[in-house]
Amino acid sequence: MTNHLALDPKRSVVVEACAGSGKTWLLVSRIVRLLLDGAQPSQILAITFTRKAAQEMQARLQLWLRDLAMGNDATVRKFFAERGLDNLSDVQLQRARNLYSYVLLAQPGITISTFHGWFMQVMQRAPLNADVMQGMSLLERAGSAQEEAWEELLEQMRKQPDSVEAQHMQWLFGECGLFNTRKLLFNFLGKRAEWWAYTQGQANALRFALGNLRADLAVDMALDPVADWGMCGNSEEVLLAFVRQLASDGTDVQKARASELEQAWTDSSPEGRFEKLWPLLFTQKNDPRTGSPFSPSSKQKPDAEPFLRTRDLLQASLQEVRDTLAEQQAYRLNEAVLHCGVAFLERYQALKQQKQQMDFSDLEWQLCRLLQQSEHAETMQYKLDSRYRHVLLDEFQDTNPLQWQIMRAWFDAAVAVDSQPTVFIVGDPKQSIYRFRRADARLFGVAREYLKEHFAAHEQRNNHTWRNAPAVLDVVNAVFADHPEGFVDFEPHTAEHTGLPGYVAVLQLAVAEQSKEKTAEDAPLVLRDPLTTPRDEAEEGARQKEAAQFADLLQTIATDWSVNEDGKARRATYGDIMVLVRSRTHLAVYEEALRARHIPFISSRRGGLLDTLEAEDVQALLMFLITPFADLALAQVLRTPIFACSDEDLMEIAGSRNKEQGTSAETLPQSSVLDSHSSWWQRLQHLADPSSALQRAAELLQRWLALADKLPVHDLLDRVYFEGDVLARYTAVLPHEMRAKVTANLHAFMEIALSVDAGRYPSLPRFLQELRELRDSRDDAPDEGKLGTAGDAVRIYTVHESKGLEAPIVWLLDANAEKKNKEGNDVLLDWPTHDQRPSHFSLYADQASRGKKRAPLFEQDAAQQAREEMNLLYVAMTRAQQALIVSGNSKGEDKEEKKKSPSWYDRIAAAISVIPAQAGIQVIEQASRSETNPLCRPLRGDIESLDSRLRENDGRGVVALPPILPTGTRATSNTLQQQRGIWLHALLQHITEGSAADENELQHHLVIPSAEIDSLWQQAQHLLTSPQLARFFGAQHYRSACNEMPYVNAAGELKRIDRLVEFDDEVWVLDYKTGDSGDPAPYRTQLAEYRSAMQAVYADKTVRCALVFADGVLSEVL
Amino acid sequence: MSPAFYNKVANHILSRHAQDLPDLRGVTILLPNNHIAQPLAQALGAVSQSTLLLPKMVTLSDWAQGVVLDAPIITDSQLSALLYQQLRKQKWFEQADLWSMTQELLTLFDELTHSLTALPNDAEVFAAAVQQAYQARQNSTLQLEARLVFELWYAMQAGNELDTARAYQLRLAKLAAQAQQPLFVLRTSDWNALEQRFLDEYAERAEVTVFDLRNEEEISSRARFIRTALSANDTLDLRTKTTQLHDILPLGDTLRFFAATSLEQESRAAAMQVRLWLAEGKRDIAIVAQDRVVARRMRALLERAQVLVADETGWTFATLSVSTVLMRWLDALQSDFYHHDLLDLLKSPFIFADIPAAERKAAVYQLEQLLRKQGVVAGLEKFIALAGHEVVLHQPLARLRQAAALLEQNKQKTLADWLAALRASLRVLAIDTGLQLDDAGMQLLQALETWQQELAGDEGRYRFAEWRRWLAQQLDTKIYHDSSIDSPVRFTHLAATRWRAFDAVLLLGCDADHLPSVADGGRWFNDAVRSSLDLPTRSTHAARQRDDLLALLMLNECVLVTWQKDRNGEKGLLSSYLEMLRDLHDLAYGDDLSERELHRYLAAEEARSVDLPQSVQPAPSVAQEAVPASVSISAYNSLVACPYQFYARHILRLNELDEVHEGIEKRDYGERVHDILRRFHERYPFVSEQPIDELEAALRQISEQVFADLLKQDFAASAWLARWFKSLPAYLDWQLANEAQGWRYAEAERAFDWELEGVRLRGRIDRLDVREDEKRVLDYKTQSDQVLRNKLLEPGEDVQLACYAYAHEAADAAFVSIENGKVKLVEPKHDVPQLAQLNAERLVQVMGSIRGGAGLPANGIDQACIYCEMRGVCRKGEWQ
Ligand code: SF4
Repeated sequence: MTNHLALDPKRSVVVEACAGSGKTWLLVSRIVRLLLDGAQPSQILAITFTRKAAQEMQARLQLWLRDLAMGNDATVRKFFAERGLDNLSDVQLQRARNLYSYVLLAQPGITISTFHGWFMQVMQRAPLNADVMQGMSLLERAGSAQEEAWEELLEQMRKQPDSVEAQHMQWLFGECGLFNTRKLLFNFLGKRAEWWAYTQGQANALRFALGNLRADLAVDMALDPVADWGMCGNSEEVLLAFVRQLASDGTDVQKARASELEQAWTDSSPEGRFEKLWPLLFTQKNDPRTGSPFSPSSKQKPDAEPFLRTRDLLQASLQEVRDTLAEQQAYRLNEAVLHCGVAFLERYQALKQQKQQMDFSDLEWQLCRLLQQSEHAETMQYKLDSRYRHVLLDEFQDTNPLQWQIMRAWFDAAVAVDSQPTVFIVGDPKQSIYRFRRADARLFGVAREYLKEHFAAHEQRNNHTWRNAPAVLDVVNAVFADHPEGFVDFEPHTAEHTGLPGYVAVLQLAVAEQSKEKTAEDAPLVLRDPLTTPRDEAEEGARQKEAAQFADLLQTIATDWSVNEDGKARRATYGDIMVLVRSRTHLAVYEEALRARHIPFISSRRGGLLDTLEAEDVQALLMFLITPFADLALAQVLRTPIFACSDEDLMEIAGSRNKEQGTSAETLPQSSVLDSHSSWWQRLQHLADPSSALQRAAELLQRWLALADKLPVHDLLDRVYFEGDVLARYTAVLPHEMRAKVTANLHAFMEIALSVDAGRYPSLPRFLQELRELRDSRDDAPDEGKLGTAGDAVRIYTVHESKGLEAPIVWLLDANAEKKNKEGNDVLLDWPTHDQRPSHFSLYADQASRGKKRAPLFEQDAAQQAREEMNLLYVAMTRAQQALIVSGNSKGEDKEEKKKSPSWYDRIAAAISVIPAQAGIQVIEQASRSETNPLCRPLRGDIESLDSRLRENDGRGVVALPPILPTGTRATSNTLQQQRGIWLHALLQHITEGSAADENELQHHLVIPSAEIDSLWQQAQHLLTSPQLARFFGAQHYRSACNEMPYVNAAGELKRIDRLVEFDDEVWVLDYKTGDSGDPAPYRTQLAEYRSAMQAVYADKTVRCALVFADGVLSEVL
Repeated sequence: MSPAFYNKVANHILSRHAQDLPDLRGVTILLPNNHIAQPLAQALGAVSQSTLLLPKMVTLSDWAQGVVLDAPIITDSQLSALLYQQLRKQKWFEQADLWSMTQELLTLFDELTHSLTALPNDAEVFAAAVQQAYQARQNSTLQLEARLVFELWYAMQAGNELDTARAYQLRLAKLAAQAQQPLFVLRTSDWNALEQRFLDEYAERAEVTVFDLRNEEEISSRARFIRTALSANDTLDLRTKTTQLHDILPLGDTLRFFAATSLEQESRAAAMQVRLWLAEGKRDIAIVAQDRVVARRMRALLERAQVLVADETGWTFATLSVSTVLMRWLDALQSDFYHHDLLDLLKSPFIFADIPAAERKAAVYQLEQLLRKQGVVAGLEKFIALAGHEVVLHQPLARLRQAAALLEQNKQKTLADWLAALRASLRVLAIDTGLQLDDAGMQLLQALETWQQELAGDEGRYRFAEWRRWLAQQLDTKIYHDSSIDSPVRFTHLAATRWRAFDAVLLLGCDADHLPSVADGGRWFNDAVRSSLDLPTRSTHAARQRDDLLALLMLNECVLVTWQKDRNGEKGLLSSYLEMLRDLHDLAYGDDLSERELHRYLAAEEARSVDLPQSVQPAPSVAQEAVPASVSISAYNSLVACPYQFYARHILRLNELDEVHEGIEKRDYGERVHDILRRFHERYPFVSEQPIDELEAALRQISEQVFADLLKQDFAASAWLARWFKSLPAYLDWQLANEAQGWRYAEAERAFDWELEGVRLRGRIDRLDVREDEKRVLDYKTQSDQVLRNKLLEPGEDVQLACYAYAHEAADAAFVSIENGKVKLVEPKHDVPQLAQLNAERLVQVMGSIRGGAGLPANGIDQACIYCEMRGVCRKGEWQ
């Protein structure tokens, strides 16, 4: 019944739906309802956040429509009943069936897109008179363009070191260092859209921003607070008053301190006074000293109030100076960063402009600006091919302010042109985890209010989930029930699958063993022998322990656990396990543990492909092929499974030079270049007695070197993979659990070779350079190869990556890690959700230089950050369908106590402790078989069936591969002589056709090089007018003539006659020959065929045949 | 082969022209493409069973081409130059890519020319019509758009020269006006407006017979099934449709679908299918490549199975390596011979084709080694200077200089002049010689020449960058056809299959994105307007593709469709048309037409296995004479960190290639700081009694000197200098404190070479201090004290200090951490002399074992491996 409203095609609706509640189901259901209600496909716009999600939506829609088209009446009725529509009429039923082909074939069809995809579509229709970028392509890899702009900026400054920007940069370098300066400026660039929004409409953006900031910080840069304070009589008064109070009735220490204070004031400069006083009155952490000796002594106690008042007054006055300094510093920083930042941004924009490209931020900003001009916004309503009457927005919590403004402007314009759409928004602010991509979950509320007000939208909440087992939900509910860290919108979730077995375990924190070092202390100092004793990697003891625990239990899961699939229990596999981490920083330790136990896993590390060993191998090979003197690259290539050379082989090459010098030095090629030392490659080619592996390497490499500059990269790689037998050899050499992954990566590499820069202007050096750039750029580096659905491997994701995914078993790893403090050197932004522009935009370097005035903004930011941290935990926990396992490690008890806020581990453990004891939820010490785990149910029978299924898959009868059948031939290209003959014939034909007899025109038309045309033209004219030939070419001589005349003979063969000339009593067949006159004998049969065929046509005439040679000789063949 | 369709046409023509036999030259048959002339001729021959002079069989555009016009014709290149110059004048296009806009507009103009019989004579009328089609209220933007298009279009037509579209229009009009002979037309889809008009006019004067495959009813029941499935405008649902099919046989034997899970799988399945077909004896196989990427991959796979593929589709010049050399030459010019561009250019097989390839390569490698060593980033003159006495480099570099002089980048020239300069430079570099050896190269040279000729009369002047963009666009649009391969297997595109029958057809890449492949309409107008102006719309294009697909499936009885149902983790949908067909079949016969055999062949192909030993952790032992007799400190450190690393570096003597650094790196910074301190202390070995201001000034001055060259090269150098300046006062403080403790600076940068038992230990210390008879070795580090403390945490893991102490018989040794405004001394926790002794003993002992044949295991810990360049050699990560 809730769906009844949410899916009502006439209403606008805002749905806030919890994880696993079936948001996509709801959204696609609504599309179906809309269609059934008569909406045309082109009237529907659905927007989601990733291409993947869009594709899935499209696929789901198609699948459902297909089911409706193919299913029986009952199925169709049930389908709609589930979606809030009972009692389908017959007409509706019929319509439902027809939707499939109707929607599939519609042009334009339904728009299911990402924001960016759709924005691009809209932008392409931007009005000409709008001041926006036109006809730009989308720059998806912004990283290298930004780097380039940075280089340019520095170069500019180098040339003009006295420019304002260069001076500011200089200041930043001195103040923050290169690294942080870069970070500040790149972060500024990252927030360019906000910057544009902030400064829109301002003639001088810089002055505007700095003016605002001066006001916000209340700074007066002309003021010297230290001098003011230090020279101020008031300050002296307070100080001396305090000195007196401290000394009178004071302890000895107090008295000593009092005279120190007094002493400090004697410094003549105000700076000196301040600098000396500060450490006396404030701690190293810059907190006011309030303990002894600055707390009232026992004697002072009775009347401590004036003492305390003076003390506080004094400290406050110093603090104020310091605060003022901090604000000034903050302003100074902003002044510098904004000056440089604006210059940086200009460079970056110019660079893109030069390449005719725009990036995502440009796209959003330009579109936002465009649509905020109502005239243009209305134009856009007309301009698109589709006119949307229904807009559906998925994952709305991930929207950023600009995106929302674009949508809002779009809606407003639609209203203005009288085509107000229905709007359907679905999202979950609890799952908003993309602040770093500028998303703002608060917009969900804003949009809700807007739609309620202007679109009479119905609001709905859903906390019923189809995904998680009750046990998992119990823990989720317990963790979030009391709304930690601003998680205020949480309401307890209910489960659909109440009978689904579930299990939640929090494993005991792993702690490092401490004892080792102590025992070592008294032992005599012995240095490690590196040959016999590897170095201990015990630094991360605790983590290692957690990793071991983790890997062990995974093995147990794969042997002993079962999971439910479609209501039936089956054995759990590695593929059922999803491992979540907050960040990948420490992943290597866990991966190592998996590797040690031969557990297959994919940590398709975003952008990790190019760093894998196999991808490096291929890069080394390609590198060698363009720089054969790269010895290390060659050594690596030799050691790869492609050649599988041993270390003995390598030593053979490394040492070969010495041995050969005496004996066979003359076999080395004469090389003026490299005679000082020969490269490995040269040595490899001239080894006296190479092993078979080396020999094979030398041969293949030689062959590939010859191909390297001729073949496109992809074709070259294909040859390498094939001739080098690369995949089979990697498979042979690698441990079993790595094979699938490595194969996938090798294929993925091949795909890059196919697609880098769409194969434009290909060359091997450029390809390698592109790879280097890809590798260096954090965002654009290619991902590792996908294993596909077949791979039975543990999947490792960051929580961010796991969004939208689920798995029967989820392991939350390293859950005791403290959340990272927000790093400095960033933009501080306040964009009130209802406003068109941010109300504050500034930068900050670190904690110390933040100042006081912006404190509320920082707090707001921190609160949002803390809230997002909870969202992240919520996302992580709700991925689990049946089992959630939590593990963590700890540096020790004392560290635990010092935590600023509870870790995820703490929260979950605490939650479990308050849940009444029940099966399936526990804190356990040892990862072992547990009686209370309902998933721990070995299913013997299933194992067999699974195995046999696998066997069936690869073994279904062995087939013989088709034989190699050499097919097709490559024609040798024509010699110039042959080519001339062809051109000459073409000329003859065209001239005699009479259509275009102009030399230039024919040259152009027949594409004859200008160097050739003159002589050919003369030759042609010579032929046409030569006495022997004139009668065949001058129209006055014959009845008719025909060039290139095709015919079929009685045998059905297709033939073509160069020229057929018909006279009153005879018919001539002319056959052009490219060479000079010669023996006609070889052509006799051919001409005989012409003759007999023509005789059949011209029964009453004599048919004569002749060859016409290029030199003008006509030779009749009888 | 399915000759039924051809026979039907042949029968019809022969009986209609029985009186003209055997000479059918008076008849014209309009073909959708030239490929079917041959089968049609054969059908005519086969049906008539006698010699026939064949009818004119021609495509409409070829036919029109033969018509002579009186007016001169302006080429596309001239026209687009004219339009570009027009656009350049319009102020609101400043931010736009004018060349692509030019191209878009020209396409639009062509379409307008094709669809409208006459120019509307008034911009207002045109604008009003457009407005109405938009169903918009009064809107100045839309008016502006219409007026602009109108005016530009009008301006382009104003000259007395005809553009290609106008010429085509006039030629067709002329053909229609002269119509006398009967005309037969073969088609599978609708004509465009212009062509349809031609047919109508022709039909007024002479007989026109149309054979439209879409209407060929009674050919086969199969055809009926396919038409039912794909039919455009009926409202029947699938279930109703199946009821109409009761008499039709299933298609399972003639049509199959392969859903791939990756690009690789799709290409491999497709290639395998082709090989199987060949093995079955099929001899005319078409691969309709909807997805070019898969096609590329597949072609490579077929080639490795020795199957060459002929290509009817062609590639744009931008994708060919012959164009790469051109672009790289211009890149090199524009970047002032940035080293990557330069090397890339010189490594092209097409440059300096008059020098033997081996010589050219030797020269490039020589240059590369030099520039890597010297770190030269860019600048032709710098490279020339670098070449010095390397004679092999002189001539190539001189020619580059000469060629560069021909293309004056700061000038504005006409397109023709730029092209002339380019061609001249290609001659200087013997690139033209190289290109002439290649078919595509030859065509490229020809194209350059043609453009130059065509544009000779154009007077617009262009900046270098504008011209480059023009050239890029030309290369992006010009198609190269490789006609050198003759093969029964061919790539083709959907439109080129009209009326063709093959032994087998592979439809490659048929996902919903690629079939129908519908280009976006672009920025001008929308489909509503376009259709009201009778311009082709998205649905026109889509419909045409559906018709072509329909015809293809009707004519061909052995078809495999492939697509990727998974693309990099995203779902891929099958083309709607094919999806419908498949569903109908599924519903009617319970067979969704999935291909079932190929997986087994792919598995068999994959099952290839090689017998190789599994990868294990290596621990090579080394022949005695190969063990180095002398070891540097860093080598010793490497030996401790990982013996295999030591082996690779110092026994195999492998090194990374020098990279050309474009910016300053941490290492450079460290070196400079060392240098500064050495110079400073040479001048001020004892600082205490000096005025601090003077010291600081002197140290700053020395620092600036040391950084001077870097500052000149790179603005970021000042950041590094600032970093040092931050610590500079602290350094002086530290040195003063040091002296206060009685330590005196003694010397710096002293090398040592210490003979141990059977091995020499080499190194160089940063600094030695003395206090009476005490000695202390110091090593400057620009790292934080925390990092350094960690280094020293486990005794013996970092050998540097201990060895220094040993070499100088010093009782003390320490790092001087200079970082972040602080200077701190970091000393080992353990007794230095003892450490020194133990380290020396260990070295002797370990080197002894190595000489004795002990293996050098690859046992570095992750910390070491992260920065280790030998990972590819030791293969850590793939051991059992
Ligand atoms: S990667 Fe690690 S194990 Fe391999 S050589 Fe380097 S340090 Fe040794």
